[in-house]
This record gives sequence, structure tokens and C-alpha cells, in this order.
Amino acid sequence: MVYELNVNGNGQSVDVSPDTPLLWVLRDHIGLTGTKYGCGGGYCGACTVHVDGSAVRSCQLPVADLEGKSISTIESLEARHPELVGTWVADNVAQCGYCQAGQLMSAAALLDANPAPTDQDIDAAMTGNICRCGTYARIRAAIHDAASQRNAGGASE
Amino acid sequence: MKSIANLSPDLSSDYLSPEMSRRRFLGVSGMLVLGACLPVRGALAQAKAAAAFEPNLFLAIDGDGTVRVTAHRSEMGQGIRTALAQVVADELDADWSRVEVIQAEGDEKYGNQNTDGSVSILLNYDRLRATGASARLMLRQAAASRWDVDVESVSAVNHEVIHAATGRRLDYGELAADAAQLPVPEDAPRKNEAEHRYIGKPVVHVDAGDIARGQGVFGADYRLPNMATAVVVRCPWLGGGVKAIANQPKGEPGLISIETLPPAPSAGPVFAPLGGVAVVAEDTWTAIRIARGLQIEWTDSPNRSFDSEALCRSLREAVMQPGTPVPGSGKGDVDAAFAEGGTEVSAVYETAFLAHAPMEPPVAVADVSESGCVVHAPLQDPQSARGLIAGYLGMDPGSVAVTPTLLGGAFGRKSKPDFALEAVELSKRLKRPVRVQWLREDDIRHDFYHAAAAQHHRAVLDDDGKPKAWLQRSAFPSITTVFAAQASAPAPFELEQGFSNLPYAVENQRMESAGLRPGVRIGWLRSVCNVFHGFSANVFADEMAAAVGRDPIEHRLAMIPASGKLQQPGMPAPEGHELDFGRLREVIKRVRKLAEWDRPRPEGVGLGFAVHQSFRSYVATVLEASMANGRPRVSNAYVALDCGTYVNPDTCVAQMEGAVAFGLSLALYGDIGMKDGAVVQSNFHDYPILRIAEAPTTQVELVPAQGRLPAGVGEPGVPPVAPALVNALHAATGTRHRSLPIRA
Ligand code: FES
Ligand code: FES
Repeated sequence: MVYELNVNGNGQSVDVSPDTPLLWVLRDHIGLTGTKYGCGGGYCGACTVHVDGSAVRSCQLPVADLEGKSISTIESLEARHPELVGTWVADNVAQCGYCQAGQLMSAAALLDANPAPTDQDIDAAMTGNICRCGTYARIRAAIHDAASQRNAGGASE
Repeated sequence: MKSIANLSPDLSSDYLSPEMSRRRFLGVSGMLVLGACLPVRGALAQAKAAAAFEPNLFLAIDGDGTVRVTAHRSEMGQGIRTALAQVVADELDADWSRVEVIQAEGDEKYGNQNTDGSVSILLNYDRLRATGASARLMLRQAAASRWDVDVESVSAVNHEVIHAATGRRLDYGELAADAAQLPVPEDAPRKNEAEHRYIGKPVVHVDAGDIARGQGVFGADYRLPNMATAVVVRCPWLGGGVKAIANQPKGEPGLISIETLPPAPSAGPVFAPLGGVAVVAEDTWTAIRIARGLQIEWTDSPNRSFDSEALCRSLREAVMQPGTPVPGSGKGDVDAAFAEGGTEVSAVYETAFLAHAPMEPPVAVADVSESGCVVHAPLQDPQSARGLIAGYLGMDPGSVAVTPTLLGGAFGRKSKPDFALEAVELSKRLKRPVRVQWLREDDIRHDFYHAAAAQHHRAVLDDDGKPKAWLQRSAFPSITTVFAAQASAPAPFELEQGFSNLPYAVENQRMESAGLRPGVRIGWLRSVCNVFHGFSANVFADEMAAAVGRDPIEHRLAMIPASGKLQQPGMPAPEGHELDFGRLREVIKRVRKLAEWDRPRPEGVGLGFAVHQSFRSYVATVLEASMANGRPRVSNAYVALDCGTYVNPDTCVAQMEGAVAFGLSLALYGDIGMKDGAVVQSNFHDYPILRIAEAPTTQVELVPAQGRLPAGVGEPGVPPVAPALVNALHAATGTRHRSLPIRA
């Protein structure tokens, strides 16, 4: 089946079986490998992307449900959330880095909905993202840093 | 076949003689580096033009001044690519923004590449400083001769050589070609600690930007033209083979082939693939979907009856019987001291099998052709993998190229290249590049498991709570069981991990061990046997203090000699790496202060303490914990670390933060069980990993380097975590948990 998708603002046409999860469409058919496979079961968040602005697990979304929706991935995050990518680097958040695309996408969706999250807000929004390396404290700090940078410069954006 | 001796980094010849390996590598000039090394990013890209200046294997300087440092150790989040470059760039006095890191292939010419045992800095600190220092001197010599001045009158600072008297300056790039003509000096002067600009300073990891932009290339991301993807269905029990496939799929779009792989032979080669049925397809989802639908009948194997509960029961029984005395370990007369009587403390501790569960499941890309084999995979030891692959294919190692990608976590799993061998076998059969993608279920069910273990400790105490006699027993299936069909007894290198080298002064002491053969593959996991030995010894010490009503930290300090070094049975530690009682006491005192140990906590909140020396580093940990909704809750963690000389303090802090999370995962959830030979768990819903809301704030204090030898950072933070939690819960609630995971 051929599906017309909108990924990071670009039209993409893919020919795959209807049950193919978005995760594998992105990785194998569109060549966007920033979105990771961690569990395939919706448990770990490594595959998190945005669909119409919400953070979702791409391993759980069959391609057939996605026509006409706006999909964005880690590869386009910096354009929308430069502060987040910047603090993630400056705070040296990543260890192995494999979970971090998913962490960043969940963090971005959180900041879109809540520009000044508390620790509790962060814990609630990020609970679906496992980091086996244990970078959680830095994730919290980087989200706070990005939020304050964004709020300080927000008026001009 | 990899010998047992190579398993422990402590036994490696590089470790025993860092000086020797330094000499081996210095002065190797004119070696063609670039043919063998490709940048990790777009690693398939063409090799670059030869550098203007390559004083040795690890350093090249281009005509435009770009400094390329070759990282020959694998990056799995411990920041080693950054740290190795920091060392070279510091002694070279390079501008950090002009330093690039190139990932080395597996090749003997680099020396030890086994990224395991927390030894990367220890093995390479000295020789990489020498590399940078030699190059810097040569650049100065080149400038001095260009200007016809004395070399002592020129200095090299931040990528420029400067003649202060005349104000002349030249960029390193402008001098590279001249420097390349000079002999490599034997003993170039090195900076002193105060002059270091990168060593000992926090530096953001070189891959941080790529990772935050989704551009880092992990094993799962590596692509070759015309690459197929395979998902392998493996027999639930070890040693079973394929009897029949009831529903052979045919004509499925995207399906390339169904391949039957033979079961791993029971004796060698090590790390042989488990075998099974490989579904090879044009894309990953097609392979997964077809693999999930296969109905496979498997042949039997003796491991089919393996039951982890029965094994754990046997371990428990084993530690209640006399075991094999640890050679050279006996002291005094334990039985006589017990007969004399006094306050007696006795307990049995148990810990479960664990899976590594790196965030990136095993994955490998192989391309086998008539002329050779290329492998790109997240491997901790590309060099030994290359040897194994060459042996497997019957090829000359020179025709096999193995390059590590970024490792999406490893924790010991990716030092066993069975998954790369699967890709090699399939690529050979299909005559095209093949990527083998393990699913999370495969990872949890077909790991090399961290051994389940039991310890029995029994002591009789004097009035101060110090042990007059101490009997220790440890039982667990040894790592050696994967290497030798008959092996079962714990090996000395396993017992030296927090069992036979406890730092406490005891007059009468006996140590015994016992082993059992398991029906699964055993492998080393971050901190290895220190995990369970550090757990039981630290909880038992806490129980001794509680038995006489003493403060646990005061009591511990009283048990550790005031000064001197441990004379341990078995293989003595190399000079400079003996367990130093003074350093151990120092981390304890620091963590006591950091945690404000004496500050009263609210009702229901307890502090727990543990200390452990491993991988030549000293770590003392205090956790603040309570019970919330029937589950343990850790609010704060405090860690004092003495790892000797360190390169990147921010990495050290990050590794301690990560170790706390790793330790809490295993303490709260880590439990792999086997029934009828098959692993019961399969994914993160039944093998949970700590999540963000459960992660405490961690404060870390680093003991200043003081010119000491570098020691481990990646592993030593883990062992004190679980016992500190158990001790904190005891302080909070009065309940003592003696088995992991904690079932509260
Ligand atoms: S891969 Fe989608 S949640 Fe884990
Ligand atoms: S950084 Fe390794 S899993 Fe999160």
C-alpha cells in the first residue's frame, strides 16, 4: 500500500504494509534513524515522535492511521526548540545517548504544553521514557534550563 | 579461544605493565593510520587524505591544523572518546574546537581494546600524554628550526608555536609537514598538574551535539547499500535446535529467505551464536512480523529442565554447608572463637539473575564477500570480535574489518559478539550485507546473565561490635561456565571482587565458596561479582553495628585499619593499586559530611550507608529512603568517589549518577527467572528499569587526584547502592531486607 505522509514538513510517499509501525517507516523507508527502537511495546519511549504536536510512541502507531497528520521527529526538533537542544548539550545530559531522542521529544511536548514545568510536572510527563544509563537528574535540570531560557527570550519569538 | 586469563582486566599484560605498553607505542612513526580508521559519523565515507603529521597511531595533524585523535576504545556513554582526546589535546596544547575524534577499527596494533573492566584511562593515560607531549615538542622543534632560534625560546600554546622575543607565531597546521620530518623524541617534557587545561576539567562529550540532534550513529543506524535485515527466533532453552517449522512462509512481499542456524556447540568457539531461525527481509518490520508468526518445533537439550528457583534453593543450601576454602585465606581459629561465644550475627543474602538490557538491543551489520568481511556493530571489544569472526570464516584477520559504532549502552553485554557472528553467517549465506536486529524480547531472553548468588555471613562480636571471628561463604554459577564445559567453581578473579578482599581487621576469618552449573549463559555485567559481594558484606556490616547499637559509620571506621594496605590472598594487586585503608576511610568521612549524616531526618525517613572498593576506586554512598505507598522511595543519594587521577570530572559525576540508577534498578526490580529452561521475562513491563519519578537527586564529591594512578569510574559506583538502600530502609522502618530485588 502506498501512503502519503507529512514528516518534518515534507511530503513522503511510502509503499509498506498497512500494519507497519511509524517507527520502522521512519527508520527503514524514510531514512530518519534518529528515532530509536527500544522495546516495540510502548514501554520505553525511545521511539517518541510528535503527531499533530503530541508526543506519541511511534512503535505503536500503524502507518495506515497517519495520513493527513503532521509528524515530526528528532531531526527537526532544533528548529522548533533550539534552547532544549542547546541545554541538552551544555548540561552534558546524554551518556550512551540511545534514549535521548525520545527524551527530547517528550520534553519538547511538555514545554509546548507547559512553559514552566515543576519537577513533578517533568516526572509525570517523562515517566514513559526509560534511560538505562540513568541520566534522569540531568534531564530534569536541562528541561528547567531550557524553560527559563525560553521564557527569558520568549517575548521576541 | 579466548582464555580465562583474558577475562579479568586485572590479569591483562597491559595492565601489569603500562610502562611497557607505552614504550611499545611511542616512536611508532610513519604508520599509515588512515587506511584503517574511519570517522564514526558517516563511517562509510572515504578515508581522508593522508595527514601532514602523524607522530603515532593515536594522533594526526592536518595541514589546516585539524587535530585528529584516534579513539581505540568503544563509546558506551562513559565518555571515553572525549576523555582520550582530552588527554592528547592537553599535552599537545591544542585548541579543543579543532580536535576531531576518529574511531579505530579493531586491530592489535592499538594494544588492548577490550572496553571492559573500567580500565580505559588506566591503560592509556600515560601513553596518550606521551603522544601529545612528543608532538608538541616536535612542533616547537619545527618552528625553532624554521626561525633558526633555540627550541627553548619557543613555546606551544593553544594551537600555535610562539617566539616571544620576536612575537612570531605559527599555527600547528603550518608546522605539521615540517614536524613530520623529525624523529619522535623519547622523553618529551609533560605538563605538571597545574598546567593542565583539559585534563581534570569538565568537558562536554564530543558526541553530545550529534546525539541531541538525532545524528549519532549507533549500531542500529548503520546502513549499507542493498542491506537486508534479519530477525532471529531462538530456541527458548539453551542448546536446542530447530526440529521443524510448521508454517514455512512463502511469497510474502519483502521476505528474502528463512535460514536455519545450527545451535551453539556446547564446547567452543566462545560467544558462538545460539542458532535458531532467521527471517531475512528487505525491511525490519517484515522480518519482525514474519518471525512472530513462525511456529517452530525445537529439539530438546539438557538445559530444558533448568529452573532458576531450584538453582537459587541450591545456592542457599550450599552456603549453609562447608565450601571450598579460598586459597590462602584462612586466619586464626574461627571455630574456637565461635565456641567462646559473644554476640553472634548470622544471615543469608540472596540476589537474582539479571539481564543487561542496554537501551539499544544487540544489533550488527556485516558484509561478507570473497575478499573479506566488514562489520559495523556496537562492540565493546572490536579486536577480539575481529579474531573470532576471522576464525569463524576461516579468513585472515587482515581481511576482516570490525568498526565499533556508538554503543547504545552495553554494561558488559556487547563484549560478547554472538550477535555480530549471526550477521556474518547470514551475510555469507545471502551474499549481501545483512543487519541482524535483536528485539527487546530476544535481548531479555537470550542474554549472558549476571549470576544469581547467595552469601552466608556469620560473626561473633566483641563489646564494640567488632567481629572476633567471621565466616563468609559465597555461592554462584561462575562466569567460567560459559568457557569450559566442566567448570563450576567460582574463579579467584570473581572472589577477589568484594569477597576475599574485604578491608576489615578480623583475627579469625574463614572464606569458602561453592559453584553450580546453570542452564543459561553467564556473563559479566557492570561491576560483576562486586554487585552481590558488595551487597552482602555491606548489609552484614550494618547488621553487626545494629546488633550492638552502634552508629553504622562509626562502627565501620572502627573495623577498618587506621592506615596501611590490604594484604589480600590470591593475586596481589599491582603497586599503587592495593586497597589503601586511608583512602577508604577518606571517602567514608567525606560522604558522612556530604549527606549530613548526623542531621536528624523526619520520622519514617532513614539513611543507609555502604562503602566498596572495586576497579581500584573507592566509593562510599549514603541513600536517604522511606516507604511510600508500600514501595521504597529514595529521595537523595550522596556519593564520595576516589578514582585517583581523573580526566573529566563531569563524566565521573555522571557515572556516579548513572550508577545510582543502575543500582536502584537492580535492587528494586532486577529479577530474571527461568522455568523449563526458558526465561520468564521478556520486555520492560516484566523486567522494569528505574523511571524518572523514582530517580533521586544525587550529589557527588570527587576526591582530588593528588597525582595518584587513574582508576575505574564506569563500574565502581554500582556496588554500594543496593546495600545502602537496604540499610536505609532498615533505619527507616526496622525491616531488614536480605534478598534482592526487594519485595516490599
Ligand atoms: S520502542 Fe516504542 S516505546 Fe519502546
Ligand atoms: S543515555 Fe543511555 S539510555 Fe539514556
